[in-house]
Amino acid sequence: MPSAQSLVNKFNDLKTLPHVAIRVTQMAGSDSTTMQDFEEVIKLDPILVVRLLRLVNSPYFGLNNQVDSIAKAVVFIGMKHLRNLVAVEGLRNLFKDENDGVQFPRKNIWIHSATVAILAQMISRRIFGEDGEDVFLAGIIHDIGLIVEDQLVNKDLVQVFQGYSNGSQIISDIEDEVIGTNHSKIGRLLAAQWKLPDDVIDAIRFHHRQDKSYPIPSVISILQLAEFMAGKLNYGVVTGRCDPLPHYLTAHLKSKMADYKVLLKAFPEEMSKAKEMYESDDGH
Amino acid sequence: MTNFFDDVFADIADGDEDLRDLLQHLSNILPDAAVVIYSDRGTVIGDPLPQFSTEMLDGCREQADCTTVKSLCQLPTGEWLNGIRVDEHQALFFIVAEGQKTTLSEVPQLATLYHNSIKLALLQKIHEEAVIENEQLGRRIEVVSSKHTQLLDDNHRQFLLIREKEKEYAKKLESEIARQTKVLRKTNARLEEASRLKSEFLANMSHELRTPLNAIIGFIGLLSETELTVEQAEFADTIKKASSSLLVLINDILDLAKIEAGKLELYVDSFNLDGLAKNAEEMFRSQALEKNNTLKYRIDPSLPSHLIGDENRLRQILINLVGNALKFTSKGEVAIEVDKIDDTEEDVRLRFSVKDTGIGIPKERQKAIFDKFTQADGSTTRKYGGTGLGLAITNQLVSLMGGKIGIESIEGKGSTFSFIICLKKSEAQKETLPVDSGVESESTGVSERTEAEDGRTEKKAVETGLKILVVEDNLVNQRLVSIMLKKAGCSSDVAGDGVKALEKLKANQYDFVLMDVQMPNMDGHAATRKIREIESSEEKESFRSLVGRSKPLYIVGLTAHARKEDELQCYEAGMDHYLTKPIVKEKLMQVIEDMRRQKA
Repeated sequence: MPSAQSLVNKFNDLKTLPHVAIRVTQMAGSDSTTMQDFEEVIKLDPILVVRLLRLVNSPYFGLNNQVDSIAKAVVFIGMKHLRNLVAVEGLRNLFKDENDGVQFPRKNIWIHSATVAILAQMISRRIFGEDGEDVFLAGIIHDIGLIVEDQLVNKDLVQVFQGYSNGSQIISDIEDEVIGTNHSKIGRLLAAQWKLPDDVIDAIRFHHRQDKSYPIPSVISILQLAEFMAGKLNYGVVTGRCDPLPHYLTAHLKSKMADYKVLLKAFPEEMSKAKEMYESDDGH
Repeated sequence: MTNFFDDVFADIADGDEDLRDLLQHLSNILPDAAVVIYSDRGTVIGDPLPQFSTEMLDGCREQADCTTVKSLCQLPTGEWLNGIRVDEHQALFFIVAEGQKTTLSEVPQLATLYHNSIKLALLQKIHEEAVIENEQLGRRIEVVSSKHTQLLDDNHRQFLLIREKEKEYAKKLESEIARQTKVLRKTNARLEEASRLKSEFLANMSHELRTPLNAIIGFIGLLSETELTVEQAEFADTIKKASSSLLVLINDILDLAKIEAGKLELYVDSFNLDGLAKNAEEMFRSQALEKNNTLKYRIDPSLPSHLIGDENRLRQILINLVGNALKFTSKGEVAIEVDKIDDTEEDVRLRFSVKDTGIGIPKERQKAIFDKFTQADGSTTRKYGGTGLGLAITNQLVSLMGGKIGIESIEGKGSTFSFIICLKKSEAQKETLPVDSGVESESTGVSERTEAEDGRTEKKAVETGLKILVVEDNLVNQRLVSIMLKKAGCSSDVAGDGVKALEKLKANQYDFVLMDVQMPNMDGHAATRKIREIESSEEKESFRSLVGRSKPLYIVGLTAHARKEDELQCYEAGMDHYLTKPIVKEKLMQVIEDMRRQKA
């Protein structure tokens, strides 16, 4: 049975990951990075430049100034936000169905990841008054391990999903049994390799843990909340199946019920805004 | 909208949270009344009504109105049960007031009170949500504003970073430039050194070439003085001319190498201007006649007769220019002119020009002719001969004197080469040197000089009775000097180096010594010093040549160089006189004559 590290190594060798996105996520974490460094790296992928500028100039951001360079985009929306856009761009392609989802629709995972990212960011902003950029990144990237497994041990993963859909086990437990490792471990290794912030790495690593309490708010607790809500809203990795909420979060949810009610009221609009932003760019 | 909430909170909440809130609000508004809510799903919020049967509830449901609070039924306690249906929350709201035994329709104020109370509770609930929403929006605004601040901070941080980087870059650039400059300087120094070495090599090479050539010229001179057939004499003459022009060429190369190595220095001394021009004119007189040219010179009478400058080099310049002019002129005129431009108390500026009526130089070639190995056109070399070095040397020499050579030329009409230099006026008018003193210069036309010798008849050797020690390592030169001395009526011995010379001086008695400077073992300078040392000590008793003299032994140095420093070195070593090689017969004769007279 392969270890998480061996899968990651193999995956790296395939070079399926967008090089530019990785560099940018690494750079955003450094205090010595400047907009010029950002620009230089992103420029390596001219298509990405065009897409990013279109996104930044979309009504979603409602900027008064026309943003015509990556450096300017950094000035207006910040490095971390731009990093998230780049990560979304990079991963979106990765999540595209290779075999048109005959056995395992990657698109589901993509929609799940995007939903979790948006919910996590909403929670972070609305409930805790934080900027939610790292939480968003954790959301968009937290299931990257599934892509690795799909790429390298596809048959095993299909089996995992069957077991998961029809049973009540936590997905990572099934993965451990069938594959020998799980997407949380793989995702954590990749995130560490990309030098993501430590709390993002930890969130990816433990996002399926049920038996432990984490501080509220924290990247992991918000990710778990968002993961739970996405599942409940039918945006789970597998439709119609969702893991229970880790126990320590129940009390929090109960105490903030009215808050979450208001948040969920605003959720459809946020989703459609995000969709609109990307669809207008996609041209379909 | 709310179903999102229900989806999410299905496991956590029972769905009655809102109703509980409403009950709380309503109870607060109506503290004296009992309030209870029955939801459509069958749950009861608040204390259930006593003895309230399902039939009674169903009856109430049917009767209840959505718009007004009505008394629906009388409870077993006698009090009326008032209720309203709230569709929004899918529940019946009941209010029971103690002691209300009549229906609300009889107490419209009470009906209004209950109605408004429920409305208030509902509004309070909405208000509560609005407050929460407001709070969340407030947080969002806070996030945005803190993000704004953060952006500003971050942009400032980046600005500082970029500025720092730019500074660093500038620094790097500076140090890079410094580094490269250093490298360039080093390379430059290396190249200069290489160039210097090359010139040095060339100079040495020329010297090496000159030594055998001197022998050729010397011996051919001697050969010419023997009895030869007409044919042999002709051959000898050809060899003499060829070797002489080769010597001129080698001297030119040596000069150029010296100039380029920065080794050529001017030796300024007082000289006679008229003598200089006349000398040049005389030198070329016969050559001019050969091609039916008139050669003349004119000196501005307002110029002082004596000036201070390097006469030899000036002569070399004039010889080159005149030689060049004659080369390209036939049946015409070549004129040397010296004019005064202006003068101060100490200096005078004068223009030297050499005019000819020759073929002229095309304008586009005028600049190039001062380059090395270039003539007005490649074919010139074949037609007129020459190396193309003469003008290059001339140009350099003029530059060295602080002037600049100029050229005016019309094709087919002739050319004028001129230069202006500034010379110091000579205070004491020194004795004019003999006209042929030019032979001392390494580069003065040897061919002309040798040609001048041509006509001379061989003097019969007169026994002088002088015995001379020739110290010379080169066998050919040993022989040449010996023969020259023999012809001059002197006997001689030869020593191969300084050590052997000392042995000879010990054993034999000599009248004077011809001492080569460059020799192995002990060179001329060292040998001379040794001799002088011995002379001033007791040791001299054991040297036959040194003992019993009224004056120190006369030592004449022989050097290949005519530089002032070579001359000085000879005198410093203790020599009395020095001659340059190839040995000019007349000079040697002069020395012999002096010594003969002294002895007599």
